[in-house]
Amino acid sequence: MVTEQFVEPKVSRRKFEREIRDYRRNEDEYRKRGWLLIKASFPRVLVVLCATKVKPPAVITGVSFDFTNYDTLPPSIRLVNPFTGDPFKSSELPTSLKRQVVGPPVEGFQLPPGIVPPGGSPPRVITQQALMQSYGPDDIPFLCVAGVREYHDHPAHSGDAWELHRASGAGRLIRLLEVIDTYGVQPISGYNVELVPRVVGFIQSVVPE
Amino acid sequence: MPDNQIDIQVIVNGQPTPIHANKNAPLHSIIGQALALTGNAGQPPENWELRDASGVLLPLDKKIESFNFPPNVKLFLNLKAGVGG
Repeated sequence: MVTEQFVEPKVSRRKFEREIRDYRRNEDEYRKRGWLLIKASFPRVLVVLCATKVKPPAVITGVSFDFTNYDTLPPSIRLVNPFTGDPFKSSELPTSLKRQVVGPPVEGFQLPPGIVPPGGSPPRVITQQALMQSYGPDDIPFLCVAGVREYHDHPAHSGDAWELHRASGAGRLIRLLEVIDTYGVQPISGYNVELVPRVVGFIQSVVPE
Repeated sequence: MPDNQIDIQVIVNGQPTPIHANKNAPLHSIIGQALALTGNAGQPPENWELRDASGVLLPLDKKIESFNFPPNVKLFLNLKAGVGG
């Protein structure tokens, strides 16, 4: 992965500043949604995303952007610990950005008698796909979305070059935050609590004389 | 301004764009205008999604009037995630 700045630094810096300026312009609205811009110093940005719908509100994840060589290259993105800035391993991710994917119609599938699919169309398989991808629990996962450097660097996506997306704004700060928020934060509706009861003795209902 | 018109601020990938819209038109009618004004020609309108300031996805086929937007409401237009994997 390229980490050296080979694009004229003034160019990348100017485009970086545009990203920050566009963010700051609507910062109040983003803060109400739970987006907190913590640090912006070329080429890096740290935004913390919070779930405002749960009570009490929860800090979900930090998102670290690296705009080195932007926008000859798309930004690099990692989900990070919002307090230390360390990238989450796959096993540590607070959210994997699950997305519902509706598959093609399943032809020839026999439904039980009396059950008619909506619209009379053949049934479809609905699966969940995590947009955060990795090969193992100890790997640093990447956001598998066009507009992200790790996506375009991946050999499986060599047919979907960054140049095909660059002009559409796919790598812009706001758009990528919107994707992470949509799939990783907005669906969070409450706390998943596990209670482990422990026997500490017996209840005695009466004490005989 | 006639009663059936409304000014909307569409934030395209973070960039503000004022749009003058007909309240009787469906909401998706403002997407093409906003993309043209910001020079976003790389992706067709159906690859974009529109949200309100709370981040709620807006149904594009409903009439603009039905949302009861205040004048100069801010709406946020961003590219969809596309297909991952």
